[in-house]
Amino acid sequence: MSWRRVRLLIWKEFLQLKRDRSMLPIIFIMPVLQLIMFGYVIGTDVRDIRTAVVDRDGSPESHLVVDGFVNSGYFKQVATPTTDAEMQKLLDGNKAQVAIIIPEGFSDSVHAKRATQVGIVVDGSDSKTASVASGYAGQVVASLSRQLYPTPMSSGAGGVDARVRVLFNPTLRSVNTMVPALLAFILMMSTQMTMSQAVVKERERGTLEQLFVTPIGRAEYLIGKLLPYVLIAAIQITLVFTVGTIWFKVPFNGSLLVMGSGLALFALTGLGIGLMVSLLSRTRYQAQQAMTFMMVPSMMLSGFVFPLESMPAVLYPLSYLIPLRYIVVIVRSNFMKGSGFAALWPQFAAMALFAAVVFGFGLSRFRKQLND
Amino acid sequence: MITPAPIDEFALDVRDLRKEFKGTVAVDGVTMTVPRGEVFGLVGPDGAGKSTLIRMMATVLAPTSGDALVFGRSVRTEAAKVKPRIGYMSQAFSLYRDLTVKENLEFFAELRGVPRKEMASRSAKLLEFSGLTEFAKRQAQFLSGGMKQKLALAATLISEPDLLFLDEPTTGVDPVSRREFWRIISGLHRQGITVFVATPYMDEAERCDEIAFMTQGRIILRDTPAGMKRRVPGRVIEVDVSDYRAAMPIVRALPFSTSVEVSGEHLRVLVSGECENCEAEIRSALEGAGLAVSRIRPAATDLEMAFAALIPTATLPGRDDAEVLAVAE
Repeated sequence: MSWRRVRLLIWKEFLQLKRDRSMLPIIFIMPVLQLIMFGYVIGTDVRDIRTAVVDRDGSPESHLVVDGFVNSGYFKQVATPTTDAEMQKLLDGNKAQVAIIIPEGFSDSVHAKRATQVGIVVDGSDSKTASVASGYAGQVVASLSRQLYPTPMSSGAGGVDARVRVLFNPTLRSVNTMVPALLAFILMMSTQMTMSQAVVKERERGTLEQLFVTPIGRAEYLIGKLLPYVLIAAIQITLVFTVGTIWFKVPFNGSLLVMGSGLALFALTGLGIGLMVSLLSRTRYQAQQAMTFMMVPSMMLSGFVFPLESMPAVLYPLSYLIPLRYIVVIVRSNFMKGSGFAALWPQFAAMALFAAVVFGFGLSRFRKQLND
Repeated sequence: MITPAPIDEFALDVRDLRKEFKGTVAVDGVTMTVPRGEVFGLVGPDGAGKSTLIRMMATVLAPTSGDALVFGRSVRTEAAKVKPRIGYMSQAFSLYRDLTVKENLEFFAELRGVPRKEMASRSAKLLEFSGLTEFAKRQAQFLSGGMKQKLALAATLISEPDLLFLDEPTTGVDPVSRREFWRIISGLHRQGITVFVATPYMDEAERCDEIAFMTQGRIILRDTPAGMKRRVPGRVIEVDVSDYRAAMPIVRALPFSTSVEVSGEHLRVLVSGECENCEAEIRSALEGAGLAVSRIRPAATDLEMAFAALIPTATLPGRDDAEVLAVAE
């Protein structure tokens, strides 16, 4: 093992990176761009839902209900139809996404302390908005019912759910859960992508073969090749973390040690996967296709964008095979709740196993690869 | 257990070397020796196994069986001792395109452990030698084909190897650069460096001390260029005729002609030895078919002719001799 040769490889790698005009912007702009996209666009926050209000009661109490919805910030009153047909038309024409129907005699029921109902019609064609809207509506109604019925008739079922979310994410800002997960996602993208491209490029161009006529050892080559990308990934993570906490004001309640070691372990897995892909691919195009192929299940089955709980039971076991699944849990719980090793050890163990298997396989392939 | 040859005798001692790729035999038991200090040429059609053979001898590809000793060291078990003594230039340009000429040289020098204090003088010498001094700061990808090959050669020479493996080093290089490249090889030869070169060009094979002809994974002929030509029975007659295409089948049909080729402006006919009057017979056959013969004269055998005559067509995979020569040219 000669550090002179390792340093030489690192120097070469950075020199090439510096000259590669397409690579540099990707490395530094991509993470921030993703942060903005995931933070703002994919964010599950749905605000100003277009709402039609059918107030058949017209009482101070019914106004209180309407104000409750509007003041929550999630609903925006856009129309006040008087008939069901009119309301239907608004929904069909996508003028309104939600309709609130306050039945006649609503105030009488409230005064008589009788149970009553508020009808909420949700346009289900955009399932995301629909589920979010009905969730918010449930919360608004729950809080209104506490207001309207100061002495509860029974223990309000809706309140329990709302209270759980309020604990860790009081404003229900999805960016708070997105930024931590993004740290992991970007780390995965950059380690897998750059690593798979970097080795396959040397292979495609014949430089790898040229290197093997020199005294360089496999370990030296691998370390020289891995280190620059580890460093880059570290810079990207820092960038996302900084932008996330300062610009998006995501509160950080965790420990850098727990999160750092989780991410480091995950980076090993990513680099290992990248290495594996590059050893199994003949060309950079193949490597790229393989990465894209792996990216979709990673995004879908890891709980990064869609909750694991909403996954069909058949697919659920597959999620255990996605390394991103574990790190997403680690960074989210650590970032938001400050969970430590004691709580997160199963995830750490799973990732250590992944890193060992993937890296071991990559190494054994690397040994054989020039033989065919 | 293979016993090593006396270290000084051969640069290369190849013993029944074989390579199979998933059922296809690329190199089918090659045995040969190359004396120190020789320029040794390897010729043969595409797919003959030349590159595979070289890659095994250069330690970048593990043999399926057999062994090659480089200065007495096995490529299988002592690759680490072989590497410092050899240089390998693969068929495709295989240096870093996005590094400059100088950076490439320094990278490979450092990697091969060239002492730092010698680095500057060696790289200056090689840049001078290869005429790349003024392009030292240019990225390799912006060099011409000929310059790229000279840079690749310089990079393999920077560690001062004793044996150079060159796999078709001048393929796709312009004629002027090719000549210059061979001038450099002659210089290396004078310094006592052994050069093992695969080439598709017969004029390059002509410059080697010895040549081996490889086809279907085997070496089927080996001799000096002059020896190859001497082996050819008969003599060559050069004919200038108005229509080569029409003339070829006519000449080929003559009983004494063993091989007919178009070479540049001439039709070259190999005739068997006992034919005394064949110039006249060729002329009358061609003129009888209404073709104008402007000149007809005896000529020297060249390597193309020699291979066409010496290599049994049956050994070539689905080719006739004309195609071999097309490959060779």
